[in-house]
Amino acid sequence: MSGLEATSSSLDVKAEVRRANAFLAEKPPTTGAGTSDLSIDEELNLHSIGWEPVELVSGLSVFSTPAGLWNWGQGEIVMAGEAHQRAFVSASQRLHNEAAKVGAHGVVGVHVERQVYSTHIEISLLGTAVRPVGAKPVDASGVFVSDLSARDFTLLMVAGWQPLGLASGASFVYAPRRNVGTALQQKSQNVELTNYTEAMYSARETAMERMQRDAIALKGDGVVEVKLVEGPMRFAGHAVGFAVWGTVVRLTKESHHSVAPLKVVSLNDTDVAFDTAALA
Amino acid sequence: MSDVTSDLPQATGHRLEELEKGLFTSDLSVNEFLLIKEVGFHPVGFVMGSSIYHTGIQTRKWGQSLELTKLTEAMYNARELAMTRMEEEAAELGADGVVGVRLTVNYYDWGKDAAEFIAVGTAVTAEDGVSRLNKLGKPFTSDLSGQDFWTLLQTGYFPQGLVMGTCVYHIAHRGIGQTLGTTGQNVELPNFTQALYEARELAMTRMQDEATQLGATGIVGVRLEEKSHQWGSHTIEFLSLGTAVLKTSGDVTLAKPVTIITLDG
Amino acid sequence: MAPTDLPEAAQRRLSEGAFSSALGVSDFAACLEMGLEPVGLVQGFCAMQQGSYMMGGLSRSLSPYGGSAGGYVQNYQCSHGMISNEHRTWGQNYEQTWVETAWMQGFTSSFSRMLEEAGELGAHGVVGVVDTVTRLTDAKVLEFHMVGTAVKVLDAPAPTTPPWSTYLAGQRLSKLFEAGLVPVSIIASISSIRVWAYCTTEFLMGGAGTMLRNSSGPQEIDQIVSAKSQARFIARSNVRAQLGSDSLRGANLELGEWEFERGDYEFQAVLRGNRVRRFKNFDPLPVPRATVRLS
Repeated sequence: MSGLEATSSSLDVKAEVRRANAFLAEKPPTTGAGTSDLSIDEELNLHSIGWEPVELVSGLSVFSTPAGLWNWGQGEIVMAGEAHQRAFVSASQRLHNEAAKVGAHGVVGVHVERQVYSTHIEISLLGTAVRPVGAKPVDASGVFVSDLSARDFTLLMVAGWQPLGLASGASFVYAPRRNVGTALQQKSQNVELTNYTEAMYSARETAMERMQRDAIALKGDGVVEVKLVEGPMRFAGHAVGFAVWGTVVRLTKESHHSVAPLKVVSLNDTDVAFDTAALA
Repeated sequence: MSDVTSDLPQATGHRLEELEKGLFTSDLSVNEFLLIKEVGFHPVGFVMGSSIYHTGIQTRKWGQSLELTKLTEAMYNARELAMTRMEEEAAELGADGVVGVRLTVNYYDWGKDAAEFIAVGTAVTAEDGVSRLNKLGKPFTSDLSGQDFWTLLQTGYFPQGLVMGTCVYHIAHRGIGQTLGTTGQNVELPNFTQALYEARELAMTRMQDEATQLGATGIVGVRLEEKSHQWGSHTIEFLSLGTAVLKTSGDVTLAKPVTIITLDG
Repeated sequence: MAPTDLPEAAQRRLSEGAFSSALGVSDFAACLEMGLEPVGLVQGFCAMQQGSYMMGGLSRSLSPYGGSAGGYVQNYQCSHGMISNEHRTWGQNYEQTWVETAWMQGFTSSFSRMLEEAGELGAHGVVGVVDTVTRLTDAKVLEFHMVGTAVKVLDAPAPTTPPWSTYLAGQRLSKLFEAGLVPVSIIASISSIRVWAYCTTEFLMGGAGTMLRNSSGPQEIDQIVSAKSQARFIARSNVRAQLGSDSLRGANLELGEWEFERGDYEFQAVLRGNRVRRFKNFDPLPVPRATVRLS
């Protein structure tokens, strides 16, 4: 039957707590260590599908970009896009290596932090390496990296999908200049600024295209949780950046498995830790 | 104990009269309203109390950490007055208690060293007609939301009163001078630690004394607030607040929660 | 038991009848449900002065600093022949172990004082711990403040070991027990790395400069990457050293960074979490029910 069938467990919690408390007074065991920055909710989600956190892992890269790069020019700022891409790839590779080293099968809950400065671009990834409980290490090429939360990972796995890796793309362009004549002409009109539209459009397309290329290389069926960050650069208003990234997924079961959600009405004003609606 | 309605302004009397005829007002949300009805209570009116208080001045010694008792007293009395007035309004309505109490302090431009202390909440009565007044014969007060009120009652505890304790403390500026000589070393500053410790403990002890007076068995949701108000950064008010509770029935009647993943948002 | 150093006010409060608890009502209810009885709000403090080494600390001299005992040090040497007074021929990353020591001392003292209060109450554990570190005005003083709710396990014999502790409370704690993990203690560590840039780093951070114009494409800045990676690595291994064979759950890694001059940085990483121990074999919990809210 559906793996998502909610069953209220029949455990006697009070007895469990007493047992746990008594256990602490005994000698500490000698096996089984691990670290994880997952929230306890996420941890319990993983637990329910038989996975466990192994270790906190991180990957980081800082790439320098040449001075004067952001000054006025035309079209795409190729070097910036390249620096972003290479920083993302190195950081993700380092994350992958750390995960493989500790015998994990993948990384979930990755916090992606990116900083674009006029002189350098930094990509920082921090996540939790996970594996099925007690599983043997797999070949490094089979270790996946994803920015899915453990919750999303759980839901996807139950539905028959598997994450394969991160895909990313970035593109930076100079906003095109209008010559003075055109600008004056257009001042009182409603017109589409076609050259702007085109520049933005193509930059967005380029970034997406790069991400898709990554996804195809990983033999994925699709990319989920795509994040798009766009807008003028803080330090150079005439330059606009687009960055996208997401997790490549593939259907591993023969067909998608429905999660058949239960409909609930909540009597809470806001989300609180203890959900009265959950007291079915 | 003073006469119950004695010190309420006239306008209040009129508003409360209307409420006594059966109309009720409340700042509860519909969710909270339903949950309060669920445990057999009915809202009777929105009640408040306020007090504009002039806080005196007390000299502080630059290099000394100590409690400023005069300010402590002022802060305490002003809140106590506001609370008492709110309780009086509730008593006037024949309420058993007040839920969702919020205590705030406002400063106005027109009153230097004066502050308005306000307490607001929703008065409720028990539908079974059994009085729920606390040990002091006053309506119980609590800062619990409707949801919290419902949950607390499922655990067999009942609120007795919003309790508080305060302590205004001056922290020495250069009382740590003697240790500054040994630069380059990591040292604990015991005087400092001790001063902060004592100030917070005093506030909490006072809160606990209030709970004891109410015959409570515990205080839940204790919060420690620290504010400098308008005294400068070295004079701090440590305020602790919580709801005193009494165990009234045996067992916890909460059903075991089911874990869920919401697909919202 | 060691002689107590609790202030008088605390002694009086803790010896009184009514318990106080910093838990909200829902966490309070969940505690009762799992047979944990709140016995009192407990806290611990420590005000630390960090001396002259704090923030920026040592200043750059003519030759690299030797590093402090046992700490991480990495030197960078310029490969350019050209020398001028402004040219930074050497660079260095080093671990500021004294900053780490001061922080740990503050954290540990406030923690053990909190446990002392809990011990005084005969508690088995401390739940819902909140710890804050604040910089007090004027002086270079850090205040460590810890608050939690001490609990007794119903129908359990009086504790013979120091109380266990956790940042968790309420249903999450209950589920942790159900999952077969018991909290041992809250745990934290810090790392502090100072970076003195050498010429290449300085130029790269400043946008490559003229010197490297001929290089092909963007270049990775090794010194910064390695300093930041080390900051995280050290924080993690310091925690690992305290863990023994237990594991860390619900951890939170905070990163701080300060720039003093171009290329001169301090990076800090603070890692906090719950040290937990498995007390029964792994047994999957029921899968959570997916829900959609109708509003």
